[in-house]
Amino acid sequence: MALDKKIVESLVARAEKGDRTVLRSNELKALFDEIKTLPPDEKAAYGQEFNAFKAKLESILDNLAASPSNLKPIDVTAPWDVNTVEADRPKTLRAEDGSTHPLMIETQELIDIFARMGFSALESRQIDDDWNMFTSLNFPEGHPARDDYDTFIVEEKDKHGKNLIAPAHTSTMQNRVLKANKHLLARGEPIAYVIPGRVFRNEDVDATHDHTFYQLEGLYVGKDVNTGHLIATLKTFLEEYYGQKLKAKTQPFYFPFTEPSFEFAIEKPKALKKSANNTEEWLEILGCGMIHPNVLKAAGIDPAIYTGFAWGGGIDRLVMLKHGIEDIRHFHSGKLNFLRQFE
Amino acid sequence: MIISLNAIKQIYKQTGAADFLPDDINKVAEKVGAQLGEIEEIIDLGKKYEGIVAAKVISCEKHPGADRLKLCTIDIGGNSTVVKGDKDGLVQVVCGAPNVRVGMLAAWIPPGATVPATYDKEPLVLEAREIRGVKSYGMLASAHELGLSDDHDGILEIDKEAKPGDLFAKLYKLDDFIIDIENKMFTHRPDCFGLLGIARELAGIYHKSFVSPEWYAEKAQSSKLKTQSDELPLEVVNEIPELVPRFCMATVSDVKVATSPVWLQAALSKAGIKAVNNIVDLTNFYMYYTGQPLHAYDYDKVAKLSGKNAQIKVRKAKQGEKLKLLNGKEITAENGDIMIATDKVPVGIGGVIGGADTEVDASTKNIILECANFDSYTIRRTSMHHGIFTEAVTRFTKGQSPHQNLAVLTKVVGDTVTFTGGKISGTTFDLKGRLTGNKTIETSPEFINSRLGLKLTSEQISSILKNVEFIVDSSKDELEITAPFWRTDIEIPEDIVEEVGRLYGYDHLPLNLPKKTMTASVVSDELRLKQELRGKLAALGANEVLNYSFVRSELLENAGQDKNDSYKIKNALSPDLQYYRQALTPSLLEKVHPNIKAGFSNFALFELGKVHINNKTTGGLPDEFGRLSLVTASKSKRVAAFYTAKKYLVELLAGLDVDESELSFEPLGTKKDASTTYYEPGRAANIKLNNEPIGYIGEYTKKAASGLKLPEFCAGFEIELATLLNLNAVASSYKPLSRYPSISLDITLQTDSSTSFAEVKNALVESIESSAPEDLSVKIESLDVFSKDSNHKNTSFRIVATSYQRTLTTDTLNIILDKASDHLNKTIKASRV
Repeated sequence: MALDKKIVESLVARAEKGDRTVLRSNELKALFDEIKTLPPDEKAAYGQEFNAFKAKLESILDNLAASPSNLKPIDVTAPWDVNTVEADRPKTLRAEDGSTHPLMIETQELIDIFARMGFSALESRQIDDDWNMFTSLNFPEGHPARDDYDTFIVEEKDKHGKNLIAPAHTSTMQNRVLKANKHLLARGEPIAYVIPGRVFRNEDVDATHDHTFYQLEGLYVGKDVNTGHLIATLKTFLEEYYGQKLKAKTQPFYFPFTEPSFEFAIEKPKALKKSANNTEEWLEILGCGMIHPNVLKAAGIDPAIYTGFAWGGGIDRLVMLKHGIEDIRHFHSGKLNFLRQFE
Repeated sequence: MIISLNAIKQIYKQTGAADFLPDDINKVAEKVGAQLGEIEEIIDLGKKYEGIVAAKVISCEKHPGADRLKLCTIDIGGNSTVVKGDKDGLVQVVCGAPNVRVGMLAAWIPPGATVPATYDKEPLVLEAREIRGVKSYGMLASAHELGLSDDHDGILEIDKEAKPGDLFAKLYKLDDFIIDIENKMFTHRPDCFGLLGIARELAGIYHKSFVSPEWYAEKAQSSKLKTQSDELPLEVVNEIPELVPRFCMATVSDVKVATSPVWLQAALSKAGIKAVNNIVDLTNFYMYYTGQPLHAYDYDKVAKLSGKNAQIKVRKAKQGEKLKLLNGKEITAENGDIMIATDKVPVGIGGVIGGADTEVDASTKNIILECANFDSYTIRRTSMHHGIFTEAVTRFTKGQSPHQNLAVLTKVVGDTVTFTGGKISGTTFDLKGRLTGNKTIETSPEFINSRLGLKLTSEQISSILKNVEFIVDSSKDELEITAPFWRTDIEIPEDIVEEVGRLYGYDHLPLNLPKKTMTASVVSDELRLKQELRGKLAALGANEVLNYSFVRSELLENAGQDKNDSYKIKNALSPDLQYYRQALTPSLLEKVHPNIKAGFSNFALFELGKVHINNKTTGGLPDEFGRLSLVTASKSKRVAAFYTAKKYLVELLAGLDVDESELSFEPLGTKKDASTTYYEPGRAANIKLNNEPIGYIGEYTKKAASGLKLPEFCAGFEIELATLLNLNAVASSYKPLSRYPSISLDITLQTDSSTSFAEVKNALVESIESSAPEDLSVKIESLDVFSKDSNHKNTSFRIVATSYQRTLTTDTLNIILDKASDHLNKTIKASRV
C-alpha cells in the first residue's frame, strides 16, 4: 500500500507556499496512522515511504526558507523608498488608535500615589536566585512554606549551584532594596520603596488565574516603626486610590518573612459597587506584616534598632475589579479589540 | 482546620472554663477572622440533620410483597409536622436492614427531609411513597446515610438513653456550627491543628484564661502506664533519633474491635473523618483533639512479619523496598523516607501512612499503639515525593511538639482499655533523642509597645500571655517569658509581639502614619523612561501589548534562535512556557496574524519588556535586558514596511530630544545573533545613536514570515532601553529669534544609484556648513528620492536659511549651494540638476 496520492499532493502544494504547519497537520498524522491498519509484512515498507515523504516536505520548506528573498534590497538610510509618491510615504497612525496596557496604566497610578507619599520605585526582576526568592526571606531550605508558592524552576543554576527561579512574588527584591538603601537609615531617613513587577506561578490558567501576573511590593523601614503605622499607611493609600474614606480590617496570616503577618481587607469601595461579578462585601486587597528580624538581619540591618513593614498585592485584580474585566487571559492575549478600549 | 463549636464548648466544660462564646455564630466568626485566621466556610450542621428523630420500632413483620423487606410501625413520639401516623400515632415504614427488630431505637428520616449523606452533594429529599404496594413514610437510616461512616450493612441503633421523638442532632451534638479556618494561617501553629489548641486560642482572644486538661499538661509527661496483663513480647529500636526525636509505643491485649459508639462517629464526621472501628477511631479522635497523630498496628500481624520476636524498628528506608499502604497503593521507598519496620519488612512510612499488612481489622485481638514525633522536613519531602497527603502529614509538617507524645499515648491507651475491654500489656516504650524545651525569652513592655504602637502595662501583657498558658515572670523590669511546650513557633521577642498584638486585637491599634522626611523619593530611571515611551507611542497610534516572558520552542525556531541561548523552565505545566525569550519581537510578531484575522487591517503593536540570554550574567545572576519592540503591519499596503517602522522610531526618539541627525542606519551585515536572526538582510539595519548601537530595525525573513503568517507589509524595531537611559540631558538648543525673514531654495542632486541617501545628505550638510558664512543658520529637509533608470537617482532637499544680521536674497543662497555642489561633485560625484 502506498501513501494517499491526493493528500500527498495537497501537502506538497502547501509546503511550496511556505506553510510550515503541514509538518504538524492532521492530514500528515492521518497518513502516519494508516500504518496501524496494515498487515505486518507491509508495515516496514509503508513506514519507509512515509519517512521519505516527511523528509521531502521538510526539505521543500528548508530550501524555501534558505532561498534568496525575492524582496530587493532597499536603502535603509533613506526616509522612504525611491519613487514613493507623497501619499504613500510612511505615516504613523492616529493618536486615537493608540493605547497603553491597562495593567501598566494601573501600575503607573500606584507608583504615582506612593511617590506622592514619599516612596521610591524600582521594577522587580524576572529571573532570580534562591537566596533572594526564599532564603533571605526567612524560608529555610526545604521549609514547608515554600510549597505555597507554585514556583517555576529554571534548569540553569546560580553561583551556589542552586536552580534559578522565575520569581513567584515581588518580595524577591526585598533583600537587595534593603541592602542598597541601608545607608539612608544611618542618616536618619527611612527606606521607603514600592516595587512593581511581573511574577510567575506554575498554575493552570483559567478565567481568574494566569501563570504570569503583576504585583506591587512595598517596604518601609526606619526607627520606631510599628504595626499601627503599617495599617495606617495602607489605609491612607487605598483611600487615595479609591478617592473615599474606607473601613479596613486585618486578618492574621502567615508569611515567613513577616511577623506578625496579615491579610488586609477593605469594605467594597463605591466605585466598584456596580460590578456584578463581585458580591463580596470585603475585598482582600493585599498581604502585609512587620518585616521579620531575620529578613532585616539578612540585609545587614540591626533589627534591635530598626523595624519596618512590607506588603504586596496583585495589580491584575485591581484592574479587573475596576473595569469589570471578566477574563484574566485578555491581559496577555494581544487582542486589539481588548487593548484599544483603554487610553 | 475544621472546628466544631460544640466540641470547643465541651472542652471548656471539661476544663472548668466558663462558656464565654456568644450565641451568635456571626459574632464568633468575626472575632476568629480578625484574630485567628481567615474563615473559609461556616456550616450550620443542624440543618443537615433537620427533622431526623429517634424512633422506636413497635412492630416488624415481613413485607407482604417482598421477601427481603420488612414492614415496620414506629413510634416517633408524635414529633413530626409532616406525618400524622395511625390512631396511636404510629408511622408505617418499609425497611430492608437485616438488623431491624422490635424494640430497637433508630434514626428516622421523615418525608420532606434530606438524607444527610447527600446534603452537600446532590441532596436526596425523601417522600412518602409506595414500596411494592405498601405505603412507606420516610426511612430508618444507616450510619452511612447519616453521613457518619461507610457502614450501610444495617440501620444505626441509637446507643444512648433517648425517647421516641428526640431530635437526633441533639442526642449526638450534631446541632452544631462548623467553622473551617484556612490551614495556611496555621503553617507555624502545630497546636492549632487540634481542638484543644483552638479552644485555648479562642479563650485567649476573648481575654479569658484557659488551662489545659491535667492529662495533657507538662507534669503528666513522665507518667508510665501500668502493666495489666501478661506481656506481649515486643522489642522497639529507634535507629534515627535525629529524625525521630521521640518514639513511644504501648501494647494492649485482648481488645474487642467493634463499631464505635455513635457519639464518636458523630464527632469524627464533623472533622470530615470517616469512622472505621473503635481502635482507629480513638486514635483519630485524639489526633483531632490534640493535633498529635497516632497509629495502631495489629500486634499479631507485626509478630508474624518479624523474626523470632515481635519487633518494631525505626529506620531509614532501603532504596527500592516496597510497601503496600493502607490506602491500597504500593510505593517504592526512597532513601530519605523514615520507615517503621520489623526486623524483616517495613510496616509503615513513619508519620505519613501505615502499611496494609498490619492494619487493625475485625479479627484483631492485640494491638500496638504508636505516638511519635518526626522531622517535619523529612515528612514533607516524603509526602511530596510519593504524592501522599494525609491528616498526619498535614500535622507533622507543621512541627508538632515531641513533649506531648507520652501524655497523648497514655490517654489513648487508657481510653482504648475502657472502650474495648483490653489490657495494657508489657512495657511502654519511650525512646527519646535529644529533646529541647522552649527557652526563656527576655523582652520588655517597651519593646512590645514600640512594635505595636501601644501603651500596655506589664500586667496587661502578662495576663494576655498567661491566658494561653505562657509562663511570664514580670517581677523584674524585663519580662521573662517561656512559651508552653506545644508552641514550637515561639523563638524570638518578635514572636511575643505577634502573640500580644493578636490576642489584644489589632483592630485596637492606634493608626498613625510614619513620620516623613523631606528627601525626595526616586522613581527609577527605567520606570520613568518606560512610562514616557509608552505615552509617546500611544500618541503615535501604537498599542501596548504584554506578552509572556516564556515562549515555546517552535517560536524560537521560527525566529531562527537557538534554544540553548534561552534559560529553560524545568517544571512548566505547558510546553508553551518552556523557554525564557531572547527578544521581544518574535512574541509580538505572533500577535500580528490573529489581529489581522480579527479584522484590523493596519496597526502597530509595541511592548516594553525584559529579555534574558543564557550565559550572560553579572555577579552570578542572569542579566536582564530592558527592551522596546515595535511591529507595524498592514493587510493591504504594498510599499516597503521598513520605512514605516523607521518613521515610528524617528518620531519616538524626536520626543526624547534626539535629533534625526544623531541617528544612523547601517545595513545589517550577515553576522547574526539572537536579536537579528529574523531580519531580512537587504531590508534591515543596525540602529546607531551618536555612533553607538542601540538596536535593530527591519523587515522579516521569509522563514519567520511564513512560520508566523505575517502579511507582506510588516516591519519593526527592537532597541535596548539602557542605551536611551544614557542619553545625556541635552543642553537647551534654543536660538534667539532672527529679525530677518528666512528664505528657502530646493536643490536636487543626481548621483549614482548606489550612493545611499545618507551619503548624499551628509555630504550636503557638511559642505554647506563649511561654506556658509557664520551669520547663517541653515536647515535641510528631505523632499524626494526619484530614479528614472537603474543607474542614477535624484535626491531633492529644501534648504531654509536664516541670517541674524541681514536680509538674505535667493542669490546669496544660490552662491552657497553652487559652492556646495562643486564640492559634492568631487566627493560623491553628485551633480546639481
